[in-house]
Amino acid sequence: MTSQAEAVAPRSSLPVAVSVQKVDMTFDGFQAVKGASFDLAEGRFLTILGPSGSGKTTLLRMIAGFQRPSAGEIFINGVPVSAAPPHKRSIGMVFQKLALFPHMTAAENVAFPLKMRRFDANTIPERVKRYLDLVQLGPYADRRIHQLSGGQQQRVAIARALVFEPDLLLLDEPLAALDRKLREEMQLEFRRIQRELGVTTINVTHDQREALVVSDEVIVMDKGVIQQNAAPAQTYRTPANAFVAGFIGVTNFLSGKVVAVEGANLTYEAAGEAMQGHWSAPGAPQLGATVTGALRAEQIRLAASVAELSACQTVKTGVVTDAIFEGERIVYEIALTGAPGTVLRAFDHDPVTHKQFAIGETMAMGWNARDVLTFPN
Amino acid sequence: MTQPLSKSIVIWAMVIVVLIVLSAPTIVVLGASLTSGNIITFPPDGLSLQWYAKIAMAADLRNAFLRSLAVASICTLIAIPVGTLAGIALSKYAVRFEHALQIYLLLPFTIPLIGSGIGLMLLFGEWGLLGQIWPIGVACCVINLPFMIWAVTASASSLDPDLELAAANCGAPPVATFFHVTLPAVLPGVISGSLLMFILALNEFLVSLLLTDARTVTLPVQIYNSIRSIITPDLAAISVVFIVCAALVIALLDRLVGLDIFLKSK
Ligand SMILES: Nc1ncnc2c1ncn2[C@@H]1O[C@H](COP(=O)(O)OP(=O)(O)O)[C@@H](O)[C@H]1O
Ligand SMILES: [Mg+2]
Repeated sequence: MTSQAEAVAPRSSLPVAVSVQKVDMTFDGFQAVKGASFDLAEGRFLTILGPSGSGKTTLLRMIAGFQRPSAGEIFINGVPVSAAPPHKRSIGMVFQKLALFPHMTAAENVAFPLKMRRFDANTIPERVKRYLDLVQLGPYADRRIHQLSGGQQQRVAIARALVFEPDLLLLDEPLAALDRKLREEMQLEFRRIQRELGVTTINVTHDQREALVVSDEVIVMDKGVIQQNAAPAQTYRTPANAFVAGFIGVTNFLSGKVVAVEGANLTYEAAGEAMQGHWSAPGAPQLGATVTGALRAEQIRLAASVAELSACQTVKTGVVTDAIFEGERIVYEIALTGAPGTVLRAFDHDPVTHKQFAIGETMAMGWNARDVLTFPN
Repeated sequence: MTQPLSKSIVIWAMVIVVLIVLSAPTIVVLGASLTSGNIITFPPDGLSLQWYAKIAMAADLRNAFLRSLAVASICTLIAIPVGTLAGIALSKYAVRFEHALQIYLLLPFTIPLIGSGIGLMLLFGEWGLLGQIWPIGVACCVINLPFMIWAVTASASSLDPDLELAAANCGAPPVATFFHVTLPAVLPGVISGSLLMFILALNEFLVSLLLTDARTVTLPVQIYNSIRSIITPDLAAISVVFIVCAALVIALLDRLVGLDIFLKSK
């Protein structure tokens, strides 16, 4: 555990901006959020990642003050906020459907929080202009909301959330509705603005790529429970459990019974074949226990024959059931020989020089034991 | 879109017939009001504006018209706050007695006006309110308020609930949120509802007939009283003035919110 404590040290040197402690939310007996706890240091960009219905919005709304936790407490800059109504919290929020005021212009939308928060009226126009410039909307200040494109509306919403310099910025999947190109552009935009202003940010998304690209920290949620809280690369490389491994990246799952254990390395029987894996959960693997191995598609080496893969610890063969040419890679689906029904996904990252295997051809696949992250079932 | 010629001829013919049928009474009354003769007749017996001059002089008609305007104004002024709040509450919150409210909203179609009129007459008589203008305005408001509530509800139900949360997030306390965000969002409904209330109260006849006396007689009742004695072209002229008033209100509505919104708000 010492190595982990060291890894966290640079984070904890900053004061904690948001602290969520054992927060529950129950709607008529249905628990949307269960025992959520995390600390977020000042100026950090946190993304809460999870499938639809995992409780992300509910968690965000509790922080914003629109819903009161059924249990637990939320602290902002050390002060418990449950008693404060939303309009008394210094939090800027960008809503999933933006919720811009349709009867106001872009500039009026941005000026609204300043008026409501009683900023000196003389400074308001200058400040509105500064923030519209920050999101590159200067020339559109006097447009009505419906006269702006989706991306421009997005920018108005960001400016409105930031203009009063909140302690905390909340983003509830505001990019979900945009097309892919614009979405990726706006992700970088969020990142740029967040770095420029240094505002502590909590972003919510179901897009794993966005979580990896924009964040300092990623929390993965499922069924109202936080599954993992770590840096993006760490979430990808060392997922805390099978759910996280499956939700981020393209992952093959092979489960079976443990037949041999040697430290963290183990052998288990999956689909009638012996499989080497690396124990990736707390505790130690038990002989005879059922485990699940997670193998990333990009960790699988591909070749025409078994002989070419002599460097790999595990080599299997299979028949190509599908081959999808995606440009920068080829995605293969390969039915494992001797294990009917087990189909692995693998990538060929060099589609320019490599030959593309056809459906029905036999291929060899190889990987190493440490690539198979094994979790208790 | 090329339609067979015969089909478009049929459609146009029907449109023209409908237009004629709908506008015939207006055209007849307009023509009759322009007669230079002494009896009401169509086509008019020569053209003149003499009956308009006459009604402008007639103090009883003018006073009745002014009273009608007062009644309509009182009715609208009460309907705006009451109908707006009720409409917003009905569309946004799980209101207690929601069922009872929905029945109330259907009243204009179910209870014959003569019933409401007699009820109000008894009530106002009991309270000693007859003989004044404002109770008539209140009565018109009570009878027609469902129309106002409908207009507001239609606007309010298309309101994104996140807008109010966004206002709170911007630092607006509940009252400021209402005035800066909720109210502007339902404004088209409020405007169309209040103009509708104004026209309905201006034209209201049956209930006013029961609630008015010689001191408080409104224009529709005054016209009705005159018909019972002798029908002269001045009644046609005053009817035209009436129609013009209604047309002005509709033009105003079109300018302010657009008729399409009004027609959609039921
Ligand atoms: N106001 C509410 N009343 C009842 N159930 C709710 C309410 N809000 C959210 N839920 C439920 O809580 C769960 C989590 O919802 P949400 O936080 O919106 O998920 P996410 O944002 O991750 O998609 C869902 O199953 C949803 O149906
Ligand atoms: Mg959500």
